[in-house]
Amino acid sequence: MTFSPVAITGLGCICAAGNSLDDCMRSIFSGARNPAPPLRFSSNHPIRYPVFEIPDFAEPSGMLRTSALGLHAAREALADAGLEREFLDTLRVGVCMGTTVGCAMSNETFCREYRSGNLPDMTLMETILRSNPASVIAREFGFYGPCQTIVNACSSGTDAIGLAASWIRSGVCDIALAGGADELGRITYLGFISLLISDENPCRPFDINRKGLNLGEAGAVLVLESEKVRSIRRKKARSFMLGYGSACDAYHLTAPRPDGAGLKSAITEALACNVINPSSIAFVNAHGTGTPENDKVETRVLAEMLPGVPFLSTKGYTGHTLGAAGAIEAVFTAACLELGRIPASAGFVTPDPELGGTPVTEITSFDGTIALSGSLAFGGNNSVIILGKAGES
Amino acid sequence: MNTIEKLKKILVTDLNLEELTPEEIDDNAPLFGEGLGLDSLDAVELVVLVQKYFGIEIKDMEEGRTAFQSVSALAAYIDARLAAA
Amino acid sequence: MKITILGIGVAGGFGTGVKEMHDALLSGQGNHSTILLENCGEPLALPAFRADTSRLKDFVPQKALRRIDNFSKLGLLGAYLALEDAGLLADGCHDQLGVVIATGYGATGTTFAFIDSFINDGDICASPTHFANSVHNSAAANISMLLGATGPCSTISQFHHSVPSALQTASLWLTEGRADRVLFGAVEELSELIGYAWYRQRGYPVHAGMKPLMTGMESALIGEGAAFMLLSRRDEEREGYCQLEQVTTGKGLAPGFLDCADDLLLLGADGRQEIGAAYATVAEHPRIACFTGLYSSSSAGPAFDLAAAALMLKNDQTYPDPSGGTCDFQATVATGGEIIRTSRISSLSLSEDNGFGLVTLKRV
Repeated sequence: MTFSPVAITGLGCICAAGNSLDDCMRSIFSGARNPAPPLRFSSNHPIRYPVFEIPDFAEPSGMLRTSALGLHAAREALADAGLEREFLDTLRVGVCMGTTVGCAMSNETFCREYRSGNLPDMTLMETILRSNPASVIAREFGFYGPCQTIVNACSSGTDAIGLAASWIRSGVCDIALAGGADELGRITYLGFISLLISDENPCRPFDINRKGLNLGEAGAVLVLESEKVRSIRRKKARSFMLGYGSACDAYHLTAPRPDGAGLKSAITEALACNVINPSSIAFVNAHGTGTPENDKVETRVLAEMLPGVPFLSTKGYTGHTLGAAGAIEAVFTAACLELGRIPASAGFVTPDPELGGTPVTEITSFDGTIALSGSLAFGGNNSVIILGKAGES
Repeated sequence: MNTIEKLKKILVTDLNLEELTPEEIDDNAPLFGEGLGLDSLDAVELVVLVQKYFGIEIKDMEEGRTAFQSVSALAAYIDARLAAA
Repeated sequence: MKITILGIGVAGGFGTGVKEMHDALLSGQGNHSTILLENCGEPLALPAFRADTSRLKDFVPQKALRRIDNFSKLGLLGAYLALEDAGLLADGCHDQLGVVIATGYGATGTTFAFIDSFINDGDICASPTHFANSVHNSAAANISMLLGATGPCSTISQFHHSVPSALQTASLWLTEGRADRVLFGAVEELSELIGYAWYRQRGYPVHAGMKPLMTGMESALIGEGAAFMLLSRRDEEREGYCQLEQVTTGKGLAPGFLDCADDLLLLGADGRQEIGAAYATVAEHPRIACFTGLYSSSSAGPAFDLAAAALMLKNDQTYPDPSGGTCDFQATVATGGEIIRTSRISSLSLSEDNGFGLVTLKRV
C-alpha cells in the first residue's frame, strides 16, 4: 500500500539552540553549543550533569512549561504557514503532540506535601490537568478537530507527525499541527542519571568516548495541510511527508534490541510508503543520543540499510528533548533539505570501531531531495519519517 | 549479619526475586545472564541499592562490571571500599 | 473496510473477564470498595472501584512479572483476556500485531514511587526501575514484550477522551494497513495520590452509588481497571462481537451531530456533574442506557461502555440500569431484559471544554 505525500507548509521550534527555527539554524551551523548544569532547578546529587536549557523563556502561570513551549512553536509554525485565525476558523484543524512529562501527574512538591501530611491543595494538579500539550494548542486557537497527545517516550514526536499525516490523508481534518514538547525538570534529570546514561560532559553522539545523553527541552510544531486547502490558498509547501514507519522491538523496557530488528522494520515500512529507493536518501538525522547502546544499534542498522548515506545527530546542539526530539529533528530535517546542507554532528571526535560508521564532521552539502529522521524509544518503539524537499511547482 | 547475607536479602526484597529465598542464592553464581537472571536495568538498580544501603557510590558500569560478577565479588568490593573509607 | 471486534478482555470493579462483566450487567449490581488515603489527617477510605490482577498468573509466569507494576499488570491482564476471548491465545505468533493503549493518568503509583525514592533517600538514590516503569507507555511496552508483538505500538493520553482518541488511531492503522490486528485497550490505575487528588477535587461522595442519569448532580466515583478489544480487519470468516462503525473526536456538539438512525442506543453518562447538562442535551433524542455504575467514572469508562455495547449487540439484549433508571431529563431509558431493537450503539465521552468523542459499534 502506498500513501500520497502530505504537504508541510509551516515550521516552528524552540530549544536551547534558539527561540525560532531561523535562530536555531544559525546557531547550529555556527557550531555553537552550551550545555551547562541546570539553573532552573537544583539537586543534591554530587555530580552536576550538563543540560541544554532554554535561557530566556518563561511559561505563563497556570500552564506547564512543556505546553507553553509547544504553544510557542505552534505560533511560529502557523505564522510561517501564513494561516490567519479567520481562515482557520473555517477549517477543521487537528492537533497531535508528543510528550513525556506533559501529561504525567508527577509533581514533586505535591507529593512531598502529601507525604508530610500537609494536605496540598489542587493548584499544582490543576495546572497539569489544564496543560495537556495538544489541548492547550487547540484551546488557544479555537480548533475543533481531533486532538491527541502521544506518549511513546522518546519517539512521541515522530509518531505524532506520522499520525497527523494519516489524519490529513483520511480527511479527518483539513490542517493538522503536529509535533512535540518537553521541559527539563528534576524528575527526568534524576531518572536519566539513575539509569547511568547521562554524560558528565557535553554529549558525544557516535564518539568512542560517549558516556550518555544530556537532557534538553524543546517545543517543535509542523503544519500539515491537505491538498484541498493548499489549492484554495495556492500555498507552496516547504516540504512533504513521504513516509512513516513504526515497529516495536518487543525486547526490553530500556535497552534497544541488539539486532535492530524493530528499527529495520520501521525504516522498511517508511520507505515502502512511497516506494523510495534507499539510495535516494540524501542524509539521515539520526536519533544519536550518545548512549553507548543506542548509537551502536542505530549505526549498524544504518550501515546495513542505508550504506554510505551521510548521517548526523543534532542532539549535540539541543540535548535529548525526549517527547519533542522527533519533532524538532523533523523540523531541522525539513530546513536542511531546503538549504541543501547539514551541519557537523556535534560532539563527535574519535570514531568507534564498534559502530557501523561515523557521522559528518563538517558542514556537508548534498544534491538529493529526500531525508530520513528516526527515533528510538524506551519501551522498544522505533519510528521513522521520510521528508521530501518541495519542488518548484 | 555479614555483607553477603545482607546483600542476598537486598537482592530478594528490592529486586523482587520472589521465587527465591536469600539462602538459595549461590555466593558465586553470576548475577547476570544464566545465574540469577538479572539484566541491565537490575544492574543500574543495584548501583542505587549499594549506595542506599552501604553508602558506596559506583560511578559507572565499567566500575560496576567487576563488582557485579557474583554476590561474593560484590560483598568483597563493598567490604574493601568500606575498609578504605 | 470492516473492523471487527474479535475478543474482549476486561478487569474492573465488577470482576475479571467477559463472563463476570456480563453477570454484573445482568444483575445491575455495582460493587465498589475503597482506596485508603493515609495522609488525610485521619486515614480516609474513599469509595472506589478496584480491579484484581491475580488472574494474570494464569497467563504469565511469576518470574516474568518480577518488575512489572500494577499499571502494567492491569494492561497485561486486559490484553491476555482479550486474546483468550478471541481464541487466539494459543496462536503464539503476534508479530505484526499493533498495540494501542489509552490512559488518562498513566502509571501513577510508580510515578509517585519514583519521586518517593529520591525524597526519602536523596537524589543519588532515585530508582531507575521506578523511572523506567513510570513512563506512560510502560503498559504498552510490557504488553508488546510479553506477547512478542512487533507491530506499531502507541499510547495516547487525552484525559477523558483517551479512549475515543486512541481508538481513532487504532482504526486508522487498520484502514491504512499498518497492522492487520490491533490490540486496543484502556488502562487506569488507582494510586493513593490520585485518590487524594480526586477527593480534593470532588469531595467525599454524597451518594452510596452512582446516579449518572441524574445529570444535575455529582455522583462520580473513582475507579481503576482495564478494558481491551482485539480489533481485526481480516478474519472475514470470524463473526466476532460486532463491528466498529465510526469514531469521531473533536469540539463543539453541533445540533444533529448524532446519527440516531435505526433506533440508536446511546451510552456515556458517568456521574460527573460538569458534563451532565451537555449529556442531557444530546441524550434527549436517542434511547439511552448507562452502566458506569458498574465500573466508575474513570477515563477508561468509555472502553467499558464499548465492551458492554459489544455484549448487548452479540447477545441481543439490554441490561438494567444499576442506578434504577432514575433520570432527570426527558429520555427513553432502556430497561433490562429486552431485545435491543437496534443494530447500532454509541458511546459518547464529554469534557468541560466542549470536547467530545463518539464511538459507534454496529451488529455484524
